[in-house]
Amino acid sequence: MTTLDIAWPQMAVLYGLCLLPWLLLGLAGLRLNKTIAISIVRMSVQLGLVGVYLKTLFNLNDPWLNGLWILLMLVVADVSILQRAGLKIRYFMLCTFTAIAFSTVFATGYLVVLVIRPASYFDAHYIVPLAGMMLGNSLQGNVIALERFYASLRKNDSEYLTFLLLGATHWEAVRPYFRMAITAAISPTLAGMATMGLVSLPGMMTGQILGGSEPWLAVKYQIAIMICLFASTTLACIINLKLSLKIAFNSYDVLKEEVMKTP
Amino acid sequence: MPDIIQFNQVTVIAGQNKTLLSDITFTLQTGAKLALCGKSGAGKSTVLKTLLGLHPLASGSVHFNGRPLNASTIAAIRSQAAYIGQEPVLAADTVHEALLLPFQFKARRSHKPTEAQIDAVLARLYLPQAILGQACGQISGGEKQRIALARGLLLGNTLFLLDEVTSALDPESKQAVLKVFADPSLTVLSVTHDADWLAQCSRVLEFEAGRIIMDTRKDSHHDHT
Repeated sequence: MTTLDIAWPQMAVLYGLCLLPWLLLGLAGLRLNKTIAISIVRMSVQLGLVGVYLKTLFNLNDPWLNGLWILLMLVVADVSILQRAGLKIRYFMLCTFTAIAFSTVFATGYLVVLVIRPASYFDAHYIVPLAGMMLGNSLQGNVIALERFYASLRKNDSEYLTFLLLGATHWEAVRPYFRMAITAAISPTLAGMATMGLVSLPGMMTGQILGGSEPWLAVKYQIAIMICLFASTTLACIINLKLSLKIAFNSYDVLKEEVMKTP
Repeated sequence: MPDIIQFNQVTVIAGQNKTLLSDITFTLQTGAKLALCGKSGAGKSTVLKTLLGLHPLASGSVHFNGRPLNASTIAAIRSQAAYIGQEPVLAADTVHEALLLPFQFKARRSHKPTEAQIDAVLARLYLPQAILGQACGQISGGEKQRIALARGLLLGNTLFLLDEVTSALDPESKQAVLKVFADPSLTVLSVTHDADWLAQCSRVLEFEAGRIIMDTRKDSHHDHT
C-alpha cells in the first residue's frame, strides 16, 4: 500500500472544513475569529517549515548536521522549560540542558541502537523525529516538575523550614515536594499509556498506518515510542530537579529567592 | 559556665538596604535563660532566625560552642537546638504523628521515644493523653504551642529557641510551661512579652529598631548600650 498524495485543490477543500466550526462559534457569540485564524496560519507555516527542514536533513543525511539540529532543539527546549517554569534562565540553563540532553540522547540512542538497529545509527530518518518526540514530551514533564516543586516549596516554606529545624537533612526536607512534583510530571505520560488504544489511536501509529505500514509494525513502533517517552521524561525530570537543588538553595539550605522570576 | 552562643557586633540586612539587626553583641551561657523583648519589628525574632541560618550576616560574627557560623555549625544548631515559633507548624495529620515527625529523619531515627515518654511529656505540659488522636487542624493555638514544645522536649535537646511560646496559653498551661523551663539544665533563648516569663529569665535584652537599647541582668545591674 502506498500513501495517496493530497493534491493542492484538495488541500483547499480541507481548509474549508474549518469554516463550519468557525461559523458555529461565531453564531454562539464567541469572538474567536482572530485566534482561530492565527492558529490555522501558524500551524500551516510551522509545519511547512518542518517539511522544508526535514526534507533538507533527510536529503543531506549528514550525522554532524543531524547532531547540530538536535542540539538546537535542546537549546530551544531548555529556554522554553525555564521560561514556563518561572525560573531565571541564567541560573538553571546548564542543569536543565544537562538533564534533557542526557535523557534524550540516552532514550533515543537506546531505541535506535538496541531496538530499531538501522544500517546507520545516525540516519536522520530515525534520530531526528525520535529525538524530537522525546524532547517534546520531556519539555512538558520538566515544566510541570520544576514549576510544581518550587511553587510548593515557596507555598509551604514554613513546613519546609520546620523539617530542617527538626533535624531533617536537606534531601529529607525537600523529599515530599520532590515526590509530588515528579508524580505530577509523569502522570500525563502514564495516563496516556494506560488509555492508549482505548480512548484514541495515537497520532504516530495512525500516521504510520496511513503511510502504508502494517498495523502490527505500527503497534510495535508505538509501544517502543511510549516506553522511551516514559523513560526519557522520568529521567529528565529526576536529573533536572536533583541538579537544580544545588543552584536554588544557599549553603544553609534556604531557598534563594533571586533565582525565581516572580518575587 | 561556657558560652553556647556568641553574637559579636552582628548586623543583618534584608533585601537592598533594610537593616534588621545592627551591631548586636551578647553571649548565652549553658543553663542561662535569656529573654529578648521589645516592640514588634524590633529585631527579636531575627536574632533567633539568624542563629538558625535563615538570615545571612552583613557583618559581625556568630559562634556556636566556640565555632563560627558555617554550613556545619548551622546543621549542628538545627540538630541540637529546639526552635518553637509563635505559630508552630506541626506538619502532620494527627498530634501523635506530629510528635513523632522528627524521629522519621535519619539523624533521630534511633531515638524514637516510647509511648510512656510521650505521655510523661504531655502531662508536664498540662495536655491530656486523648489529644494524641486529634487532628492537628482541630486543636487550639495554645495546644499547638504546647505540642510543639512537647516535640522539642522529646528530642532531648537542652537548648531551646522560643519565639512567644506563651502567647496563646491560658494561665494554668503557662504555669506548666514556666515550670518545665525553670529546669537549670535547659538553656533558653526566648522572645517574649510575658511578665511571668521575663521574671524567670536571668537576663533580658530590650530591642528597638534592630538595636539593643537595654541589657538587664537578674542582679538588677543595668547596662545601656
